[in-house]
Amino acid sequence: MLTKTLTVALVGNPNAGKSTLFNALSGLRQRVGNYPGVTVEMKKGRFAAGGTAVELIDLPGTYSLAARSPDEMVAVDLLLGRRPEEPRPDVVLAVVDATNLDRHLYLTSQLLDLGTPVVVALNMIDAAEAQGIKINAAELSARLGVAVVPVQANAGVGITDLTRAVVAAAEGGSAATGPAFPGAFEAEVAALQEELGPDVPGFLTRRLVLDVGGYVEQWLVGRHGEGLRLKLNTARRRLADAGHSVPGVEARARFGWVKAAVGAAVARPAERRVTATDRIDAVLTHRVWGTLVFLAVMFLMFQSIYLWAGPLMDGIEGAVGRVGEAVAGALGPGPLRSLLVDGVVKGVGSVLVFLPQIMILFGFVAVLEGCGYMARAAFLMDRLMSRCGLSGKSFIPMLSSVACAVPGIMATRVIENRRDRFATILVAPLMSCSARLPVYLLLVGAFLTEGYAWWVPGLVLFGLYLIGFVTAPLVALLLKRTLLRGATPVFVMELPAYHRPRVRAVVRRMVEAGGAFVVRAGTIILAAMVLVWALLYFPRTDPTGVPYEERIAAAEAAAEANADRLAELKGKDEATDAEKEERETLEAAAAEPDRLNGEWKRDSLLGRFGRWLEPAVRPLGWDWKVGTAALASFPAREVFVGTAGMLYGAGDVDPGDDEQTAGLGAAVKADWAADPVRGKYGVAVAASVMVFFALCMQCASTLAVIRRETRSWAWPAFTFAYMTALAYLGALVTYQVGAAVTDWGA
Amino acid sequence: MLLPLDMLRAGEVAEVEEVSGHDSWVGRLADLGIRRGCRLRVVQPGSPCLLDVGGCKLCLRGGECSQILVRPVG
Repeated sequence: MLTKTLTVALVGNPNAGKSTLFNALSGLRQRVGNYPGVTVEMKKGRFAAGGTAVELIDLPGTYSLAARSPDEMVAVDLLLGRRPEEPRPDVVLAVVDATNLDRHLYLTSQLLDLGTPVVVALNMIDAAEAQGIKINAAELSARLGVAVVPVQANAGVGITDLTRAVVAAAEGGSAATGPAFPGAFEAEVAALQEELGPDVPGFLTRRLVLDVGGYVEQWLVGRHGEGLRLKLNTARRRLADAGHSVPGVEARARFGWVKAAVGAAVARPAERRVTATDRIDAVLTHRVWGTLVFLAVMFLMFQSIYLWAGPLMDGIEGAVGRVGEAVAGALGPGPLRSLLVDGVVKGVGSVLVFLPQIMILFGFVAVLEGCGYMARAAFLMDRLMSRCGLSGKSFIPMLSSVACAVPGIMATRVIENRRDRFATILVAPLMSCSARLPVYLLLVGAFLTEGYAWWVPGLVLFGLYLIGFVTAPLVALLLKRTLLRGATPVFVMELPAYHRPRVRAVVRRMVEAGGAFVVRAGTIILAAMVLVWALLYFPRTDPTGVPYEERIAAAEAAAEANADRLAELKGKDEATDAEKEERETLEAAAAEPDRLNGEWKRDSLLGRFGRWLEPAVRPLGWDWKVGTAALASFPAREVFVGTAGMLYGAGDVDPGDDEQTAGLGAAVKADWAADPVRGKYGVAVAASVMVFFALCMQCASTLAVIRRETRSWAWPAFTFAYMTALAYLGALVTYQVGAAVTDWGA
Repeated sequence: MLLPLDMLRAGEVAEVEEVSGHDSWVGRLADLGIRRGCRLRVVQPGSPCLLDVGGCKLCLRGGECSQILVRPVG
């Protein structure tokens, strides 16, 4: 039994089920490791095998160890123990897809050259059986010289055998080697090794010869000078003359070896069966049907966000209202109560209400990714993307940005070409992310639900997302024609077989997204809300020096005292002139607290600034309240809802009235109805606000991640500038056209 | 008879004879299984086209397909 902690690296082709196996092995004990200088993240997990503790590192999926970029080199260096952050792995766990052994064992054969013990996890063994592929694992193990363990990672089958084999391999050390290369090749490698000295591992010397123009070549030529390049080219020429040209010599050696092993251990049906994947793909990758299905899936996604989240939202709203009530009841009037009730509870609460939608959205994205549909969507969209000078590969980051631009921008790392990657990063924030959802839902709920057909809200929401889907490729096209000029990139992508998405993985994504949202609400959004609250609270006295809170309390008391009399007057069918007059006076008194509150907000610091800003936003159909809320949302979009809650909903000082606390949308609608412009053009103004949010760069986290991925402040600054300008223009056109249509309709 | 890959029709099977182009691109395709001597089947022609290479579905564009020379089989 081993007492030390084993380090195990998990390596495999993309779509080999690596992440699923990683989750099956390490359960919930996971964290993410970052590596300085490169944009690579590796997940790390822990598990115990018998009495041995194992640290598992999940390397990025790759088809080959031929590194072409610093990012790909991190994985190779890590496997060789050349990264200071991690010890050299004791065992390499190679995950292969049992239905596609020929392809996947290529990487395994490269792993055998590392000199580290290797264990092969023969994943998706159930799918192979279903296709009639029979694999003799013992025979395969004998041929490859390493342990081969059949597993079904998505069902947890074979995991114990696998961990046992890993520990055994670590104890046994390494004996197996990969396929033999021609003697001439080995001689050239040995000669170069002399040249390079012992601190360059033999594995890298082989890669130096094999990978023409690869990262190892760039790195070593940079270190040893151009003389090395000359020697290298001479060696390659000698090999070509001997009939062993690179890189062909590697493919021949490895595939010959793989074929021999697979031929002996695997029996396949003579005719390749038409799989379920083939049948599904006949529809889903069809130019017409596939596109229609894609649009239908998107519509279904947005419609269900609307339908399913309703009851959950009501629950959260109720809870927020009760917390506000409890806090208000426990404290006397004053800045502290106002801060807690209006700033913290109402501000953050009105954002937290959108937790269910965000979790549903992330659940959808996780299902689409997990079942393999995302790659089909990328395939379908490649035509469109190639017209914009991008490839289908740019589509997946863009689609992920529908959930959140931060992971979307990080997903651009799969794009090899720097220009295409940057173009994708710069347009990804245009895709409508989940943070915009609260703004959309608030306004669609208030202005486009009542009196409209049941499918209208879903369709409008879909249309708002379409803005991103249309604008992002157009901007990308413009960028590729100007700042990031370059040829249309080559595009080759694997379409993985369909899998039933794992419930646990989907739930995990939803919980993670929900957790991140709550953390955001508790940090950046809370800070912004407190700031907004303070700017709206001070100065707290009217020009004569009387605190507004006292005046409001007095006005409320007066309204309260006359409430019964007012109800009685309202109940009367016929009233004398005196009674009518009394009723009007009492109604004015009842509205007095709201009026005072409005006056207070107008004269607050933020109100003054908003009114100063108003001429700039008037062409968009906005008043100072909308303008202020939009401005306050630049750190995080969700702040809009919270700020609107303070500006519009703040009139309901009585927290006991659930109708008022719950109906922010109704409050906005009522406020706008009282205004000649927004009353008449309510829908146009709402659309203008939503278009603004659809296009605007209002997210500090996204700017930070763009800075990190492009390693420059110039790109985030550029993104911010172009998106803000685009948003203003879009909102302007929307309002002007919307108002004209309203006039024409009337 | 050698043909560029984009000349094949749906369902046709061919053997790859030559992949030309930039080194890194040839290497990338080789990693994915498209290399001299391998067999592939056209699932869906056009750009991008859909290929079956050793039981694995790959998609690539017309322009790139024309750099792959194949010999139709059967």
